[in-house]
Amino acid sequence: MVEVGGVELQSPVMAASGTFGYGTDVPLCDRKALGGMVSKGIFLNARPGTPPPRIVETPSGMLNAIGLQGPGVEAVIRDYAPLWATWDFPVLVNINGESVDEYGELAARLDGVPGVAGLEVNISCPNVREGGLFFGNNPESAAAVTTAVRRRTSLPLWVKLTPAVSDISAIARACEEAGADALSAVNTFVGMSFDLGSGQPRLAFRTGGLSGPAIRPLALYLAYQVARAVSIPVVGIGGIARAEDAMEFLLAGCRAVQVGTATFVDPNAIGKIAAGISLPLVGKDPLAQSSDRPLASR
Amino acid sequence: MYDVEAPLAGRREVARGVWVLGFEAAPIAHSVRAGQFVNLLLRPGPLLRRPFSVYRVDHDVVEVVLKAVGEGTRMLLELRPGDRVSMLGPLGTGFELEREGGPVALVSGGLGVAPMPLAAREAQALGLTVHWVHGARTADELCREWEGDEAWWATDDGSLGVAGSVLQAVPVGVGQVLGCGPNRMLAALAERWPEAQVALETYMGCGTGVCLGCAVPRTSGVFDRACQEGPVYRSGSIRWRDLPTALHYAVSA
Ligand SMILES: Cc1cc2nc3c(=O)[nH]c(=O)nc-3n(C[C@H](O)[C@H](O)[C@H](O)COP(=O)(O)OP(=O)(O)OC[C@H]3O[C@@H](n4cnc5c(N)ncnc54)[C@H](O)[C@@H]3O)c2cc1C
Ligand SMILES: Cc1cc2nc3c(=O)[nH]c(=O)nc-3n(C[C@H](O)[C@H](O)[C@H](O)COP(=O)(O)O)c2cc1C
Ligand code: FES
Repeated sequence: MVEVGGVELQSPVMAASGTFGYGTDVPLCDRKALGGMVSKGIFLNARPGTPPPRIVETPSGMLNAIGLQGPGVEAVIRDYAPLWATWDFPVLVNINGESVDEYGELAARLDGVPGVAGLEVNISCPNVREGGLFFGNNPESAAAVTTAVRRRTSLPLWVKLTPAVSDISAIARACEEAGADALSAVNTFVGMSFDLGSGQPRLAFRTGGLSGPAIRPLALYLAYQVARAVSIPVVGIGGIARAEDAMEFLLAGCRAVQVGTATFVDPNAIGKIAAGISLPLVGKDPLAQSSDRPLASR
Repeated sequence: MYDVEAPLAGRREVARGVWVLGFEAAPIAHSVRAGQFVNLLLRPGPLLRRPFSVYRVDHDVVEVVLKAVGEGTRMLLELRPGDRVSMLGPLGTGFELEREGGPVALVSGGLGVAPMPLAAREAQALGLTVHWVHGARTADELCREWEGDEAWWATDDGSLGVAGSVLQAVPVGVGQVLGCGPNRMLAALAERWPEAQVALETYMGCGTGVCLGCAVPRTSGVFDRACQEGPVYRSGSIRWRDLPTALHYAVSA
């Protein structure tokens, strides 16, 4: 068992939002090894998502523009939360808003719903009212969202950080001060790809989020900076495909990790990663840890 | 759904550059239905799996048909007997045939031939008459393997059968139409037979229903998942205009 920001995980390896659906379509994943899962990102209301093509494969990675397709919070509470309540591993709901108020509304609606173990606030969303900049792009709006959610729920509150910022430490600290219990680092990197035949972007949405092994060293460095900046637990995300990759994030100071794209490649990637982790969970300061306990002795 | 380490059992060329590869994967061979697909992982190889319709099954062997269109398909054609891929399947929802539905036309363009042999066998098992209707660009690109009661051919250049669209080769009097091929062909088929069942292709992230990458625009207004609710749909339920035709789909006639 691993405790992260008020959530008891079965193992340090979780399923990342948007890569595990609502947990109902993953028959080959070893559910005993699964630390917990984060649901596909939801909004207050149903959303159709973006038109296809939504996926482009890139060197060691993939771009996606799904557009947060989903049935809305009421359908999730009705159709999935009752199932989650019967599962052994915790389910966090990834929440998204077009305004600070919408995040708050979602938090209030999910508060106390059996089956919901916590909230992961996705701040990589465009702020529609304030000109479309991501909420996660600056400390003020990141803190405003965190505060709005904190006021409306007693559930464990994780904030998922966007990598596309110049100083992730400042944003991490702002979220911690605004009441986050843990931080997930990081979301996808915005990217694009053109088709030389048509001269058009390959994704209908033009841009998409890059995930997979291609982003691992970038994500690792960001997670490392976040872990050094705050005292709440950090959950590392980005390109983790093997136990060794997960261990790198733990060494960088993360308490747990999330696995996304690797599940597309191997539906039981999480089971294999969890089974392969052999380090005792390392604490907050990776440098201090590695100097008094050399890696070779573990 | 099974994840099988499947060794290459054999291969044969069925048209110029078009190969049938057989992989030993007993649990999939014994449970797959026509129209379902498998998702193949190559290691070493590209990051994501590659989806392929199941062409035929022969005891424990699952066959797929393909030609080289990119890195993954090229590597598949370089496999030697005994080399393994990870085969995930069977995936998706297959064709549904009705015993009382009348004679069946299996209409395919190019590599769209892929799901048809299994469909022919399922139809014949129900006692249905099967018209095999297949078209390709030229005679030497046309897969001559066929199953059913009668075969009808079409080529763009007229080098075999009807000159022009495969739709022109469909005989009169069929009760059930199953189609597979390029989206443009399927869109034309939908205009004539909105009740036809068509097997679609989309880019796929996972093939198992969790990524929402394989969006298919339905007339009901929603996007659903080709890998889960599909890849087989009633042709009249698709918003064809919103489905990309400009993708570099391998299955082009
Ligand atoms: C349900 C389904 C069944 C299919 N059945 C067959 C079949 O029986 N025979 C056959 O030859 N092909 C089939 N395809 C298409 C086949 O998956 C692609 O030809 C293959 O993925 C191309 O891979 P590549 O690495 O050679 O091409 P690349 O162009 O290098 O691939 C780049 C990326 O685009 C994706 N991609 C490229 N073309 C397609 C495509 N047409 N459809 C989906 N994804 C694509 C690849 O998976 C990869 O992620 C099917 C596709 C789907 C979705
Ligand atoms: C298809 C897809 C959908 C995603 N959807 C969401 C989402 O709804 N909310 C969210 O916070 N992150 C989402 N993500 C981001 C992942 O949770 C994760 O942060 C990212 O993919 C990096 O991890 P990976 O390299 O292991 O995939 C999505 C990623 C992918 C590939
Ligand atoms: S390919 Fe991932 S949901 Fe269909």
